[in-house]
Amino acid sequence: MPFNPAKSKLAYQLTFEGSWPTSVAFFGGNRRLATANQLGQIVVWDLPEKPPEFKADPKTEQKAPNIWPVRKLEGHTNEITRLVATPDGKQLVSSSLDRTVRIWPADGAVAGKTAMILDADARKREARRQGKKDLPTTPGITLETHTAGTVLEGHREWVYSLGISSDGKRIISGDAAAQIIVWDLASKKSVAQWQGHPWNWIVAASLSPDGKTALVSENRYKRDDFDIPGPALKLWNIETGKEALDIMKVQFPKFNPAERGYSPSQVWRKFVANGLIATAYSPDGKLVAVGQGGETDTGRVHLLDTSSGKLVRTVSGHQNGVTDVIFSADSKHVISVGRDTCVRICQVADGKEVAVLGSPRGGQFKDWLSAVALSPDERWLAASDIAGMVHVWDVGG
Amino acid sequence: MNSNSIRSDHLSRRALMKGALATASGGVVMNWGGLTNSSALAAEAKKERKHCILLWMNGGASQFETFDMKPGRPTGGPFRPIDSNAPGIQVCELMPKMARQMDKVAVIRSMRTSEVDHPGGIYLMHTGYRPAANVRFPEIGAIVAKYQGLDGADLPNFVKVSTQGDAGAGFLGPKYQSFGIGSEGGLPTFSVSNTEPARELKRHDLRSFVEDQFAAETKSEVAKMHREAYEAARRLQKTRDAFKIDAEWAKYKDLYGDSEFGKRCLLARKLVESGVAFIEVGQSSYDSHADNFQWHRGLVPPMEHAWAGLMTDLKERGLFDKTLIVWTGEIGRTPQINNRAGRDHYVRCWSTALAGCGIKGGQTYGASDVDGVEVKDNPVTEGDFFATIYKALGIDPTTENFAGVRPVPLAPFTSKVVESLLS
Repeated sequence: MPFNPAKSKLAYQLTFEGSWPTSVAFFGGNRRLATANQLGQIVVWDLPEKPPEFKADPKTEQKAPNIWPVRKLEGHTNEITRLVATPDGKQLVSSSLDRTVRIWPADGAVAGKTAMILDADARKREARRQGKKDLPTTPGITLETHTAGTVLEGHREWVYSLGISSDGKRIISGDAAAQIIVWDLASKKSVAQWQGHPWNWIVAASLSPDGKTALVSENRYKRDDFDIPGPALKLWNIETGKEALDIMKVQFPKFNPAERGYSPSQVWRKFVANGLIATAYSPDGKLVAVGQGGETDTGRVHLLDTSSGKLVRTVSGHQNGVTDVIFSADSKHVISVGRDTCVRICQVADGKEVAVLGSPRGGQFKDWLSAVALSPDERWLAASDIAGMVHVWDVGG
Repeated sequence: MNSNSIRSDHLSRRALMKGALATASGGVVMNWGGLTNSSALAAEAKKERKHCILLWMNGGASQFETFDMKPGRPTGGPFRPIDSNAPGIQVCELMPKMARQMDKVAVIRSMRTSEVDHPGGIYLMHTGYRPAANVRFPEIGAIVAKYQGLDGADLPNFVKVSTQGDAGAGFLGPKYQSFGIGSEGGLPTFSVSNTEPARELKRHDLRSFVEDQFAAETKSEVAKMHREAYEAARRLQKTRDAFKIDAEWAKYKDLYGDSEFGKRCLLARKLVESGVAFIEVGQSSYDSHADNFQWHRGLVPPMEHAWAGLMTDLKERGLFDKTLIVWTGEIGRTPQINNRAGRDHYVRCWSTALAGCGIKGGQTYGASDVDGVEVKDNPVTEGDFFATIYKALGIDPTTENFAGVRPVPLAPFTSKVVESLLS
């Protein structure tokens, strides 16, 4: 079924309240969806082929049916920052502020059962409506539990970024102490690791389709108005362990990362905004997309040529910042989400925005969409919002 | 110029002024304390004086990401607590170096103050008083300069490095006004004379002569203050090296951490060593309404590294026991995390810390409730906080100064010293 975002239709709105959802990924098929949150929980839905009948209540924000997840992946003890899945859907990989990367087999054995309350906010609203202090105690849902097949423990700090090569053989993880590790998924061993600038943290990392080149974005939030370390955006040759291209130098030949006063930061501020916190490698390997994150006026996505590091074009525009970016499988569309509660889909060829999914909500500052994922058959597009809802659109036309 | 004056009058007048400077211990120059230029003042300086370094977290650092963590609670955030060298006291994992010095630090976890926004909060936490239309309250730095500073020496008694407080000396007058150093550590441009020394001296003599004539004829207080300011600025020329840290920075970079805040803290130590009574060192950008956790991850490590280095350095030089370190900003931050991943302003329950100068370290005073929403035990107001600081510095917080005819105590009426923080 061709990817046809212009004819997308909201299919599900899945409730995952109680903590901010942070990441989404399809794994184990086109309709198995995993979502993670700041508590370190991962829950998994098996979406029906056809959404159940649903009649929207105009008084609520629920515009599509909710179904409950069926399993929970247990093990992380702090916020999960990213989820990625192997292209064959057999493994899910998660990174966390608990300093680990975990690999979860899609066909893992059931470890037990657990009860969860996923509609915590709805319960709070109900308690308020009834004038009660205590939340309604009606039972939550029961889920199967699974544990990780492998725990990768090479990081000493928050693992903040995670990427996977489109051949599914390697993953890359980066942490808040600027350590980058490339892992071989078959052996679960590190095949390369290096260190960025010691002050920086790795805010985003992606691998080329063949897993031989890494795109790494480094950033550090300011230490003072007059102490602002410069960011880094580089391509690395994983085979040699050497820097292949310093994209910041291409963009700003006079850029000197050692200068950290207010004035030097103005050189790169417009390009980087508050950090290039989302990256993606196009499946054809020709482009990378980098999204301007942190709270910024309008977060845009830069498309850069991987051979030269030159800016091809800048697309999209999320009020207050980008949070995640991916490409469609044919490399013809770039899909971004951001702090405007919207999914924006643009054509790579000309930058034209062909679809905007979702609508701003959440008051003066919107409830961000924190992450986006596309099912392997590109029929389903999922995006998690920080208010505790996972939106799934049918984008198969 | 008075056309009847003669050169000898002029010279003798200058000689008289020199003598006055050599013997006077008060009122000759404004707020100038350290690096004495006469034996009489040097002897005065040797008396046991206390110093204060205010580490000012501009914008309001989060108590949840520093000294009052709530791990596992909805208000807690992603950071985890670590044990410190003080039994039972945990601090944020962003503060590993301070964790090893907590036996010397007292944390107040029950601050409840009365100005929730920045301008009012900055005023409040610099003066102990809320802004008032009819009284200009002096900042703590001016008060410490008055009661612990040394009159008549070459360095100011009240120095600010990269900070925001703007209440100044208030009704104490310009004698106790602060001397400001820029964010990047440089002296203000006016502090350096570009004129040849001989030529500058001639100009100085001429200006002094004119001023003296004017003052004699008008009895003007303004003229006196103008003279004092000029004299102070001139004497600063001799002591400019006290503000230079470039040559020493390589040696101290590891101790203080490679940051601008670290440099400012090293400068503060140098100034304490040179006799300056009060130094305020600021770090900006804590107003984390958005991306609170990333911001604190950027801000707290260089701050705590510098703070720990400062304490180590002061201890090694025998200055810690007579130097009070005050760690505070103008406000705390909300328990609730907003939908910008930020924390907003909060003054119902937040944290400050004190160290050195007789502060009983290794303790927390007061407590917040389980989510950090309300003070559970022993609330501390801004007045109590300032009263405790003044007492630690050997200054009676009930001492009154006059704003016009109105007596104003150093700490507001009804303020209570938190005695258990003092040894």
